[in-house]
Amino acid sequence: MMYVRALPTTDVNRNTEWFTYPGVWTTYILILFFGWLLVLSIFNCSPGMAWTIVHLAHFSVTYHFFHWKKGTPFGDDQGIYNRLTWWEQIDNGKQLTRNRKFLTLVPVVLYLIASHTTDYQHPMLLFNTLAVFIMVVAKFPHMHKVRIFGINAGQ
Amino acid sequence: MITIPYLTAVSTYFSYGLLFAFGQLRDYSRLIFDWWSTNNLQGYAPICLAHEDFYIRRLYHRIQDCFGRPIASAPDAWVDVVERYSNDNNKTLKRTTKSKRCLNLGSYNYLGFGSFDEYCTPRVIESLKKFSASTCSSRVDAGTTSVHAELEECVANYVGKPAAIVTGMGFATNSAIIPVLIGKGGLIISDSLNHTSIVNGARGSGATIRVFQHNTPAHLERVLKEQIAEGQPRTHRPWKKIIVVVEGIYSMEGEICQLPEIVSICKKYKAYVYLDEAHSIGAIGKTGRGVCELLGVDPADVDIMMGTFTKSFGSCGGYIAGSKDLIQYLKYHCPAHLYATSISTPSAQQIISAIKVILGEDGSNRGAQKLARIRENSNFFRAELTKMGFEVLGDNDSPVMPIMLYNPAKIPAFSRECLRENVAVVVVGFPATPLLLARARICISASHSREDLIKALQVISKAGDITGIKYFPAAPKKQEENKDSIKLD
Repeated sequence: MMYVRALPTTDVNRNTEWFTYPGVWTTYILILFFGWLLVLSIFNCSPGMAWTIVHLAHFSVTYHFFHWKKGTPFGDDQGIYNRLTWWEQIDNGKQLTRNRKFLTLVPVVLYLIASHTTDYQHPMLLFNTLAVFIMVVAKFPHMHKVRIFGINAGQ
Repeated sequence: MITIPYLTAVSTYFSYGLLFAFGQLRDYSRLIFDWWSTNNLQGYAPICLAHEDFYIRRLYHRIQDCFGRPIASAPDAWVDVVERYSNDNNKTLKRTTKSKRCLNLGSYNYLGFGSFDEYCTPRVIESLKKFSASTCSSRVDAGTTSVHAELEECVANYVGKPAAIVTGMGFATNSAIIPVLIGKGGLIISDSLNHTSIVNGARGSGATIRVFQHNTPAHLERVLKEQIAEGQPRTHRPWKKIIVVVEGIYSMEGEICQLPEIVSICKKYKAYVYLDEAHSIGAIGKTGRGVCELLGVDPADVDIMMGTFTKSFGSCGGYIAGSKDLIQYLKYHCPAHLYATSISTPSAQQIISAIKVILGEDGSNRGAQKLARIRENSNFFRAELTKMGFEVLGDNDSPVMPIMLYNPAKIPAFSRECLRENVAVVVVGFPATPLLLARARICISASHSREDLIKALQVISKAGDITGIKYFPAAPKKQEENKDSIKLD
C-alpha cells in the first residue's frame, strides 16, 4: 500500500486548493483513459474516432468549467472570486506554475494522439485543431483576466 | 502530517468528480424543466446566484441528516438525539417526538460543565433569580453588573494578564475586535487553517492579509521577512502594524500550536502575537490555563490572548485579555462592547463558578480531578484508536481527535452507522475541511467514564470495519493480559 503525505497548502480558496494535493494528475489521466474505453465500447467505432470524441468532449467540458464558469460553488467566501474563472483562480493567480503547465499539456497531448490515430484526415483534423487552439490560447499568461469583446464579462 | 494511501486519494477525487457530474446533470435537467413550467415570481431577483448554491443543493442536501441533529437534553456525556425522517430524499427533514439516548462524542464539553454541576448550577439559578436572564442593554448603558466586573477580573487573573474584556458571543469577539486593533496599512499574517471568525475579522479590518503554512514557524519567518522587506502593497512604505494570528488548538486537526517558536520569531521581527485559545483554555495545561502553560510560554510574551467560554466552561461568550492600556482602548472602541448586548448575567456567573471549581477555590479538588481525567481519557482514546488502525490526527493531550474518512460516501455511512449503535459523532467534510480530507471529529470530555469510552471504541471499530477506514495496519495484540487490557474486536 503506497502512502503519500498531504502537506497543508497556503491557498485559502477552497475551490482550487484541492488541486494541490497528491493524486489529482493521476486521476485526471485515468478519467481520460477510461473515458476512451467507455466511448469505444458504446459507439463501437475505430480507436481514432474514439480519441477524437474524447478530445472534443474534454474540450467542451474543460472549457466550460475552467474558462467559462466564474466564482465558487459555495457561498462561504462572500463572493470575492465571482469575477474570476477557475483557471484564473488556481495557484492564487500566479502564472506558469507546475499545475498550469500540466493542464496546458494535457489537451496538446490529447490532440496529438487524436490526430495521429485518425491519420490526420479531414474533417476530424479541423475540429481537433480548432479545439486545441482555443484551449491553449485560453491558458496563455497574457489572457489572464482578459475578456475578448466583453464576452463572459457580466456580473 | 496526514498520510493518505494513494489509491484512496485517487478514488476520492473520482467520487467527488462523479458527484459533481451528477449534480451538474440534475441542474441542467432542472433548468429545462423550469423553462417549461411557469412560476409566479416574475420580477423578483433570485436570493442567491445559481452557482453559489451548487454545493449545498447537490452535495450537502443529500446527506443532510448527518448534520445539524437536534438534541433534547443537556449536552452531557449522554445526550438525547431527536429522530428525524424525510419524505423527499433528505431535501427537508421533519422531527418526530421520539429521541434516542446516545453517547455524546460531539459536544465541546471538555471539563464536563455542560450539564448540572453541584457547585455551579445553584449559583447560576440564584443569579438568574436576582439579575434575570438578560441585562437588556449594552455594557456602556446599563448592562454592567457587579458580576460582569468580577468576571473580567477573574478571567484576567486566570489567564495571567493584567486586564480582560468579555463579550456576549465567541465568534463576534474575533470578528468585532480585529478590525478595531488594525486597519488599512497594517498586515495580518494568519495560519492557513484559522477559524472563520478570524478570517471574517481580518477581511473586515481592511488590512492586508497573508497566510503562512499551517503550524510551520520556518514558513512564518520567510513570510515575515518577505513582507517586511516589501512593505505595503503599492507604496512600499513600512507597515504600520503587523499582527500574527494563531490558534491554541486547531479544532479540525486537534494539533497544538508551536507557540514558543512563533513567539520567538515574532519578537525578533517585532510583530504582535494574537492567540485564539477557543479550544485550549480550560482543557490543557496543568491547571487548565491553556497552551501557554502547557508549552511553558510566559503570558506576558503573547500580546493579545483571546478565548471563548463555550468549550470548557459550559457557558457562552468570549474574552480578550491583554495589558491595561489595550483593554482600556478596546472598551472605548470595540463595537461589541459599545453596542452589543452584554453577556447574560447567569452565564457570567457560570463562568466565574467554573473557574473557581477549576482552580480549587470552591473547597474541593474536583477541578484537578477533571483536568487529570480529561488528559487521561484523551490519551487513552487516541492510543486505542491508533492501535486499531485508524488514522487519528492531533497531538497527545489534545481532547480533539479527528478520524480521517477521505471518501465522500464514508461521511454519511460512518455517521449513520454510529447513530444506529447509539453513538453520536460529528462528521465534517468540504468546505470546512480540504476536499480530500473529510473526517469524523471526536471531542472527549472529562465526564466520559472508562466504560463509555470502551463502548465508543467498540462501536467505532465496528463502524470502521464496515466503512473501511482503518487505513493503517492494526497493532499486534499483546500476549500477556494485565488488569487494564480489554478485548476489542
